[in-house]
Amino acid sequence: MSTLSIVIAIVSFVLGALLALLTIPVLVWLERRIASLVQDRLGPNRTNVFGFRLGGVVQSFADVVKLLLKEEYYPSHIKTGRWLFMLAPVITFSAALLAFMAIPFADTILVDGEALRVQALPIDYGVFWYLAIGAIGVLGVIFGGWLSHNKYALLGAARAGSMVISYELPLGLSILSFIITYNTIDFNAMVQWQSGTFFGFLPAWGILVQPLASIILIVALFAETNRNPFTVAEGESEIVAGFMTEHTAMKFAMYFMGEYVAMNTASAVIITMIFGGYQIPWVSTEMMLQNFSTFAIALMVSVPVIVFLLIKWMRKNNTVRPTVSTDGGRNFETKVLSIALISMTVLIEVILLYLMFFADSALANSITVMLFQIVVFVVKLMLFNIFFILIRWTVPRFRYDQVQHLGWVYLLPLSLLNLFITAIIVVGVT
Amino acid sequence: MKENITVIPRHGDSFKDKLFLPAIYDGVKVTFKHLFNNVTDINAVDTLEYPEEQPRDITERYRGLHRLTHRSDDSIACVACFMCSTACPSNCIFIEAIERDDEKDEKMPKSFFIDTLECVFCGYCVEACPCDAIRMDTGIFSLTGNSREDFVMDKEQLLSHKGAFGEENSCARD
Repeated sequence: MSTLSIVIAIVSFVLGALLALLTIPVLVWLERRIASLVQDRLGPNRTNVFGFRLGGVVQSFADVVKLLLKEEYYPSHIKTGRWLFMLAPVITFSAALLAFMAIPFADTILVDGEALRVQALPIDYGVFWYLAIGAIGVLGVIFGGWLSHNKYALLGAARAGSMVISYELPLGLSILSFIITYNTIDFNAMVQWQSGTFFGFLPAWGILVQPLASIILIVALFAETNRNPFTVAEGESEIVAGFMTEHTAMKFAMYFMGEYVAMNTASAVIITMIFGGYQIPWVSTEMMLQNFSTFAIALMVSVPVIVFLLIKWMRKNNTVRPTVSTDGGRNFETKVLSIALISMTVLIEVILLYLMFFADSALANSITVMLFQIVVFVVKLMLFNIFFILIRWTVPRFRYDQVQHLGWVYLLPLSLLNLFITAIIVVGVT
Repeated sequence: MKENITVIPRHGDSFKDKLFLPAIYDGVKVTFKHLFNNVTDINAVDTLEYPEEQPRDITERYRGLHRLTHRSDDSIACVACFMCSTACPSNCIFIEAIERDDEKDEKMPKSFFIDTLECVFCGYCVEACPCDAIRMDTGIFSLTGNSREDFVMDKEQLLSHKGAFGEENSCARD
C-alpha cells in the first residue's frame, strides 16, 4: 500500500463525512429558502458573518448554536427504558449517516496498478449495505415513539411501523430488478454500467433502462426517508410532532438532522442507481482519460461560462429594491465573491493548461478526472435534494392507510411484474 | 323537478387520475415556476423588507399613536375639558387642568398623560374631542421602550408628534 493510496482513502473518508454532515445546514437552509421562494416569500436571508450572508446559509449555523445551548429536558414520566429513549435519535441519525458511506463519489482510481475506490467505505456490496443499514433508521423512530410513553408519540411510532411494511417490499423488489439489470451489487459497477449507451444514442441511465423500477424506487425512498408526501409519522395537525413529541434540544436535533442525512443518502442512492452517479451522460471515465486534452479544453471553456453566469446572477439578485434604505453590505459581498470566483477560475485554467502541455502524468490526469467527477456528483446530489424539497411543497400528506394501499395494491404487484419481465429479458438477451 | 337536479361529476376514477403521477407533474410545474421566477429575479418577490423598508400602505383612517394638535400660534389646542378621558374605555388618559392666561381660552392642560400600554387604540378620544385637539393621524405603528414608564406619553411628547397626512393644526381652534 503506497502513501498515495492511504491519502486517497483518507480523502474519500473525509469527503464522505463532509458530504453527509456539512450538507445538513445547507439542506436545512435550502429547504427554508426553497419553501419560501415557492410560496413567494424571501425566507432567512439576513444572518451574516462580517457582512457575508451567502444567501442566508449562515442562519443554519446560528440555529445549531441555539439548539446546542437549549435546556436538555428529560420527561420525568419515563420510568423504564430511558437509555433507549436517549439512544433512539442516535440510532436514526447514525443509520442514515452510515448508509451514505457506501456511495462512490468518483470512479476507481488506478495508483501503481492498484484500483482504489473513492468511497468512504471501500466495499463492493454497497447495495446490501444500504438496504441493511438504511432499514435500521426506522427502529430509532419506533423506539423513540414507543418509549416516550405519550399517546401521540406512540401513534407516530405505530404509523412509522405501518410505513415500514408498506414500502420495504417494493423497495427491495425494485432494487432487485436493478441488480438483475446491472448484474452487480456494487454501486460503483452500477455507475460504470450506466456510462454506456442504450439503443445507440440514449445514455444507459437506470431511469431510461428501467423506468418503472425507477419510479417505484423513488417513491419507496421518499417513504423510507419520511419525507412528504409520506410524513405520516409526524402529522402535526393530528399527532403533534409524532414520535419526537417528547424529545427536546439536541435529541430533537438528532432526529431533525437524521431526516436531512436520510434525504441526502436517498438522493445519493437514487442518482447512483438511476441517474448515472458521478458520470455525465455519454462520457465514461475511460473516454475522459484517453482524450484528456479534449476534456481539459471543454472544461476550460465551460468553467468561465458557468462562473460568468453565476456572477451575472449574483449581481442581479444579491441586491435590494430601491425602496429599501440600506443594502446591508450586499454590494461589498458581491464584489468579494466575484473576485474569489474569478481567481478560482484563473487557477483552474492555469492548472489545466499545465496538465495539458507540460505535465505528462497519467496519475495527475486521473486525479483531475476524479475531482471533476466529485463535482458532478455533488451538483447532481444537490439537484435531486432540491427535487425532494420541491415535492415536499407540492404534494400534500397521505393518510397512512393510503400509503399501505399504495404499497401493497399498486407498487408491490408492479414491482413483481417488473422483476418478472426484467428477468425474462435478461435471460433472453444472455 | 327533475330538471333542477345538477349532477356533479366525480373525479378520481379515470386511469390518469388513478396513476397520480400526471397530477404530481402538474403540481411540480406550478411550484417550479414560482421557484424559477423568484430565483431569477429575487426582487420581484412582493415582500416588505421591514425594517429597512417601511410600510407604504398606511391610510388616513389608520389609528396610529396619538398626538396633541396646535393652534396657529403654536400653542396647545386642548382646553382640558376631560371629554377624552371620560370617553376612554380603558381609562388611560390622565389630565390636570390649569387656567389659561393668553385670553384665547379659559383652560389648558397642565399635564396630559396617555398610558399607551393601557390604550386600546379605539379612537374614542378623537371622536369625543370638541376642539380637534387630540388626533391619531401620526402613522406611527410601533412604539418601543426599555421600561413601562417609557410608554407613558406626556404632554411634550404628544405635542412633538407630527401629523402624517398634511393637516398640522387643529381645525376647531385657531
